[in-house]
Amino acid sequence: MLQGVKNQLNVTIKTIKYGLMREMINKTSFIMNVIFMILNNASFIIQWIVIYSLKEDVGGYTFNQILLLWAIAASTYGFSHFIFKKAYSLSDLITNGKLDSFLVQPKNVLLACITTDIEVSALGDLLYGYIVLIISGITVSKFILFTFFSITGAIIITDIAVLLGSLSFWIGRSDMIADTGNNLMINFSTYPDGIFKGAARILLLTVIPVGLTAYFPVWIMTKFNFKLTFVIIVITVILTLVTFVIFYRGLRRYSSSNLMISKI
Amino acid sequence: MRKYIYIYKSELMSTFQYVINILFRLINFILFIFIFMNLWNYIYDNPNELINGYSKTQMIWYVIITEIIWGAIEGRKYCRKIVDDVRGGNIAYMINKPYSYIGYAVSGHLGETTIRIIISMVVGFTMGIIFLKSFPALTAPAVIIVFISGILAVLINLLLITFIGLISFIIEDSNPIFWLYSKMILVLGVLFPIEYFPGILAKIMRYSPIYVTCYGPAKLFVDFSYMSSAEILLSQIIYLGIAWGMCYLIYKKGVKKLNVTGG
Repeated sequence: MLQGVKNQLNVTIKTIKYGLMREMINKTSFIMNVIFMILNNASFIIQWIVIYSLKEDVGGYTFNQILLLWAIAASTYGFSHFIFKKAYSLSDLITNGKLDSFLVQPKNVLLACITTDIEVSALGDLLYGYIVLIISGITVSKFILFTFFSITGAIIITDIAVLLGSLSFWIGRSDMIADTGNNLMINFSTYPDGIFKGAARILLLTVIPVGLTAYFPVWIMTKFNFKLTFVIIVITVILTLVTFVIFYRGLRRYSSSNLMISKI
Repeated sequence: MRKYIYIYKSELMSTFQYVINILFRLINFILFIFIFMNLWNYIYDNPNELINGYSKTQMIWYVIITEIIWGAIEGRKYCRKIVDDVRGGNIAYMINKPYSYIGYAVSGHLGETTIRIIISMVVGFTMGIIFLKSFPALTAPAVIIVFISGILAVLINLLLITFIGLISFIIEDSNPIFWLYSKMILVLGVLFPIEYFPGILAKIMRYSPIYVTCYGPAKLFVDFSYMSSAEILLSQIIYLGIAWGMCYLIYKKGVKKLNVTGG
């Protein structure tokens, strides 16, 4: 089994590597995509400078914590979209019968299909996360925790994208539901939870896993909490297992459209 | 002009077929307004407090109006379409058609935008009235002026995005330039009025697209005066001419380049 995992990991890394090489053929476009995405994200600092000029703390977050929130949200998004880009268009792959080429490969179908392409601009998000981490004051422990939570967060948002995309196995086109769900996660994760009250706040910290991907990591990086870290790890593992089970259940209902495509 | 009205009508009718898509996208709009209602509720300790000349109610109405104008355009999708037309060579098939590509692209996208604006207005105004329990006191002529200013804001935005898309004639992919433009509009225009920024920056912003595409119509909506409406409408008309001129020049130059490379 371990050999199988090793082989799968090897294939995944090679797929990403070749995807990156393919995108780097046009160097100007590649560099522009990365740099402009960093600048694009950086513009939001202005928003928070204006808001913090009006009030000293927003939703219980200091300016540094807001920077951390943005850093973790950006790197989580970056990791997920860079490595698992196709998880965000899974609905299209399913409804248009484009999974055929992945079914014939002797590898995990889900991993093969979601890692088949990379999003260059997401590299800018990822780098931006680390740049902001440095600005907010980096330490070795903070760096390790940040990287760890960026990975768990990326896995969680990819799981959600796959689950929402997999709805297409049962209800046909689910791309609008998936897009809405994914946007919901991104939008909420860049605002402090303290500004929301009542049911909205409870939902954010429970049902909608923004707490796991953004709020809890910031709390832990501010003041380490083992219990909360453990909760994040356990839920990430459970959610990933559930995602695989649901996807493979849905795959039984998949029907090919005899689409001829070339994969280079 | 009649052919562009026909293109506009065709896109309008075609968009009607996908109203469900628009309704789904509306969730993002509702979410955006919901977040900012919460944010401004948190920032304003007292509902009657004035920050930079704006009350809490005015600030939330400001964001609702700017988001209706900016969000309904779906600039990212529009810019990508223009970039794809240029990069993919699709634009070559439109050169020999009896219409201008700029007019075709703008009028077509305006058709889609119209439906989104109407639905966003219904939802935005309903949210505002329910949660704020108030509506700015506007007279009938003021409503007409705000409406005209809103239409001009949409047109200027579409032309500026068309210009950014057409930059693909020069650099291969101008989408990243749009990201910067969109964030500039969002952060400096949609979220805050110009008065929130320090002196020099505020002065610069009065000459930037932010003033004519976001601030102008929203300011008139929350704090109408005939003096400021004359100033805003005049600026919008000047900007409309400049934006159209920029599109025309870059298209003219780009098409020549396209001919040289053989399309």
